[in-house]
Amino acid sequence: MDKQNTSPRGKGRVKTLLRLVEGSKRFFIGGILLAWLTSVLDLINPKIISFTVDAVIGNETASLSRWMQRILEKAGGREVLRGHLGLIALCVLGVALLAGIGRYAFRVLNVKGQEAMLRHTRNLLYEHIMALPLTWHNRNHTGDIIQRCTSDVDVIRAFLSEQLTTLIRMVVSILLSLGFMLTISPKLTGIVAIFVPLMIGFSYVFHKKIEASFEKVDAMEGKLSAIAQENLTGVRVVRAFGREAYERERFETSNEEYTGLWKHLMRLLSLFWATSDALAGLQMLAILVLGALLCLREEMTAGGYIAFLSYCGMIAGPVRMLGRVISGMSRAGVSIDRIRYILEADREVNTRADKKPQMTGDICFDHVSFAYDGSEEKVIDDITFTAPAGKVTGILGSTGSGKSTLMYLLCRLYDLEEGNGKITVGGVDLADMDRAWVREHVGIVLQEPYLFSKTLGENIAITDKDSSTQSIQDVARIAALEETIEKFSKGYDTFVGERGVTLSGGQKQRAAIAQTLLRDTPITILDDSLSAVDAQTDAKIRKELDVMHQSTRILISHRITTLMHADRIIVLDKGKVVETGTHESLYAHNGLYRKICDMQSPEGAMTHIPA
Amino acid sequence: MEKQEHQTLPYFGIPKILKYAKPYRWKILIMVILGVLSSLIDSIYPLFNQHILNHNLAEHTADTLPMIGIGYFLVLAFQVWDNYYSAYMCSRMELWMNRDLRNAAFNHLQTLTFDYFNRNSVGYIHARVMSDSGRIGELFSWHLMDFVWSGSYVVCVMVVMLLTNLRLALLVLMLVPVATVIVTIFRRRLIAQNRRVRELNSTISGDFNEGISGIRAIKTLAVEERMNEDFRKDTEDMAHASIKAGRTSTLIGTTVSFLSTVALALVLWQGGKLTVEELMQLGTLSVFMSFAIGIMEPLQNCINCLTAMTTIQVNIERFSRLMETESCVTDTDEVIEKYGDTFHPKRENWEELEGEVNFEDVTFQYPDGDEPVLEHFHLHVPKGAAVAIVGETGAGKSTLVNLVCRFYEPSSGRLLIDGRDARERSQLWLHSHIGYVLQTPHLFSGTVRDNLRYGKPEATDEEIWKALKLVAADRVVQKMDKGLDSDVGEGGSMLSTGERQLLSFARAILADPRILVLDEATSSVDTVTEKAIQTAIKTVTEGRTSFMIAHRLSTIVDADTIIAVRDGKIVESGNHRELMEKKGYYWELFTRQFADVSVDMAMRNE
Repeated sequence: MDKQNTSPRGKGRVKTLLRLVEGSKRFFIGGILLAWLTSVLDLINPKIISFTVDAVIGNETASLSRWMQRILEKAGGREVLRGHLGLIALCVLGVALLAGIGRYAFRVLNVKGQEAMLRHTRNLLYEHIMALPLTWHNRNHTGDIIQRCTSDVDVIRAFLSEQLTTLIRMVVSILLSLGFMLTISPKLTGIVAIFVPLMIGFSYVFHKKIEASFEKVDAMEGKLSAIAQENLTGVRVVRAFGREAYERERFETSNEEYTGLWKHLMRLLSLFWATSDALAGLQMLAILVLGALLCLREEMTAGGYIAFLSYCGMIAGPVRMLGRVISGMSRAGVSIDRIRYILEADREVNTRADKKPQMTGDICFDHVSFAYDGSEEKVIDDITFTAPAGKVTGILGSTGSGKSTLMYLLCRLYDLEEGNGKITVGGVDLADMDRAWVREHVGIVLQEPYLFSKTLGENIAITDKDSSTQSIQDVARIAALEETIEKFSKGYDTFVGERGVTLSGGQKQRAAIAQTLLRDTPITILDDSLSAVDAQTDAKIRKELDVMHQSTRILISHRITTLMHADRIIVLDKGKVVETGTHESLYAHNGLYRKICDMQSPEGAMTHIPA
Repeated sequence: MEKQEHQTLPYFGIPKILKYAKPYRWKILIMVILGVLSSLIDSIYPLFNQHILNHNLAEHTADTLPMIGIGYFLVLAFQVWDNYYSAYMCSRMELWMNRDLRNAAFNHLQTLTFDYFNRNSVGYIHARVMSDSGRIGELFSWHLMDFVWSGSYVVCVMVVMLLTNLRLALLVLMLVPVATVIVTIFRRRLIAQNRRVRELNSTISGDFNEGISGIRAIKTLAVEERMNEDFRKDTEDMAHASIKAGRTSTLIGTTVSFLSTVALALVLWQGGKLTVEELMQLGTLSVFMSFAIGIMEPLQNCINCLTAMTTIQVNIERFSRLMETESCVTDTDEVIEKYGDTFHPKRENWEELEGEVNFEDVTFQYPDGDEPVLEHFHLHVPKGAAVAIVGETGAGKSTLVNLVCRFYEPSSGRLLIDGRDARERSQLWLHSHIGYVLQTPHLFSGTVRDNLRYGKPEATDEEIWKALKLVAADRVVQKMDKGLDSDVGEGGSMLSTGERQLLSFARAILADPRILVLDEATSSVDTVTEKAIQTAIKTVTEGRTSFMIAHRLSTIVDADTIIAVRDGKIVESGNHRELMEKKGYYWELFTRQFADVSVDMAMRNE
């Protein structure tokens, strides 16, 4: 199971990312443009201040550029401004207000982009997961998939809205600063030009190296999360066996291991941060000393030296940050891969033609064999029988004899492999039909019914939101659910809780039956759906079904009383059909059916015929 | 799902969490000191420039340059070490806190009773263990560190400003309360908005959970489109709510940075005036201005930390609500003293359990129920007796066994086990002697062997096979690829319901319990197998007290006592013969169940 879980790596990452930002790109791009505008605005205030300090308060008009001197003249000269310093302060505020608006707009755009991306990505994932075949779902743990859909998506969000935008902004501001530096001293810029690639290269190598550690941490987190999840779902078993201490130890051990992995990773990360701090510091040191020497050799002015140092300080932050951002990117790369694992899994496809025939004919299983993905063992072995149209076919079979699998095949939850027989409805091969068409026309009540965390009424009408109250009440009555519903204070509006936890097993089964009845499908399957209801209710439901429904019905049960009135009864054992007939013929035949029948009769129950 | 009352804890709820930080208080202190040192060093660096400018360049000499280089290098080396160590400390702090909080939450959950799990969804509880802990851990590491870093810088700057020029400094500091008031107002809005975002976030996780775990139902019902539609609605709500919250937090950030510029403008205006009037030196003015600008980022960092605290407050609230949830069934101190608690049993003090169970005037009402399910109920179950509980679907058959297992306690009256009140001995003692096979069997991921050994970790393969044979489950395991080493899948998904029931039955048998509870244990098992189990049950229950809940009445006719339950009340009890003679409710149930077959057979026999 875990082998398939290792995500595909590498090249498709960018393509996937582009797919995720479909519809939100414009927000991110707009945000970055505004961010640049804001940074430019941010540069204006320091200029105004240095101008004020040098030329208005101080008296260094000579050092001003011609452009600046013109502004000074236009404003009425130094003396006027000296008397109205408040005006300059207002200018500063005005610029700050503009920058503030820009910054606000940039961040809001960024949030909008991020949310649009999240919404799009979640929808994509959910929709895709719905369309993935059951074999895929069997292979993957629920907890793991949920983790991919939540935490991994969040890592990508952080990458796009925090790291990538910062990266782009920083690269631009680094390049701008380098340009300014070049005009001051090419020699010193040379030194900077050595350090910058060194630091970026170091980041890159590092981020490659820790990628594997991140994957390990993620896998461990999944494991820990699964332990908690299982403990919670199996809480009744844990308590009943008094195994709390064992569970605690299991959780704590994994927790310790997980913490240990993180600790190792954080140690590496701390080392990385410190090293990039050191590199930035060394660069500053080199500039400080060499710049001073250049000044002494009169190759540079003191003003130039100060400016160069301040530019150097300006890029130190971004270059350092670049390391962090890139290290964060490795995380995003892993997460993108983990999401690709879902998005690039093959959806259920219609292999052949898309026929949409009437589904009211005989259902024929013709030499059907089936083994689950990755298993040698045939669950169904060369099964042939016909379920006549409009009639009731009963299936009796031992535990694990492949009854449910047979029905899954009929719903096309799994597809038959070439050469393993075929299933036809009214003479048309199921494999030639449109898959959705098949599912829409085959109503199956699953052995373990699943209810959604909605109200009871909504659950019954899950397939058709617009069904009338009358029709919902009708099917509830047929499914013998009416009395139960009357007992609930909120009736049909009773919330059933996650997976229907607030209902008993029998109530869930009957709700699922009502759900299927409402669909009014030409083929209806009850897969041991009456096991948790008592015999009386069972009989009542079947009676109602006979009156109401003329569909082709297949009943799977262990109870003879459930099956005995079926028009045809199939007895399965170990994946093979062993007997076929009516109750009378099978009873007379004196085989497995008869044996079971005797065991379940009151006499049998009381005399304990050994198996 | 638990409706959460929106009570707000004082001081961001931090006092509730402090005890988890206590073991690390010295490490946190070191971390804080290192953080302060690092921000102090940041303010040393400008001194090197100043020296070069004032001394080397002004006096045109390179004499002290080597010294400067060495000094700078040493300071740098110290800071690099400091940064490395504080980051490493900080990350360890985070990890340790996370680990401890996760363990605490998980362990507390092991002591809670079922009504908590009935009230709260698995997803909700899971998030308390896995994500709240992480967020709270961040608070005590990175957020704390950031706060210290920025806070100490802000304080240093304030002190220097006050010392340099009192009037100007006060002018700047005047803005601090203004900022605080504005931020507080926005913050309140932000908390509410963040709550909404979080609620929606868990809705979305729940959607994923439902979509994935319910995939079989979704596909067979062909409701993919409806599910997609519902999901799209939730993600849309989520986007709207998050953008709203994002706007508010951005507004806070931009307002604060604008206020910093107001401070700068004030300094330029008033300070400039002073300088023009030659009441202040130009150097002082420029220092003040650089402070006004420099204080901006750290101040904002502090505010960000506060904002983070308000979001984390929600996590703390939920986490502490879990930790404060008390179990409805608890052992008294004396009992714990003698028998040990859930995690530290004192097995040496444990008595053998014989298996006599006595309900003495028991009245019981479920914590969330409207009326009592049992009223003044008496029942004596001698050691080794078999009790069967029958009744219609949803009649409340599990109530009795819930009480026997002490998953719930009587509202009044007593439950005696071996003649002593069940409360006189620990829950673990009782549970260790009970084998419970549930209607919906739960297997853990792992191998068949792991699962079977769950109740008896030291069981040998031989014992395992014996137990499997006893319940006719050996066939199930034999046909699996790797026998006992086969993987059962998540929740046993590789096996059918019937097979899972058989394995969980074998699991219970293997633990060799004194009291055996079979709650519809074989409802999905075929008749032939069930028959085989029936014979086995007779062997297995020999000498053990057993409680059986069953639909198929054929399976319980031999029970010593049969209890018929109807609408949550016990209507009849006695053995099969007595009840049949009485021609009451049980008789009605029994004859109805077999009517079909009997009539049919009668016809044939003619």
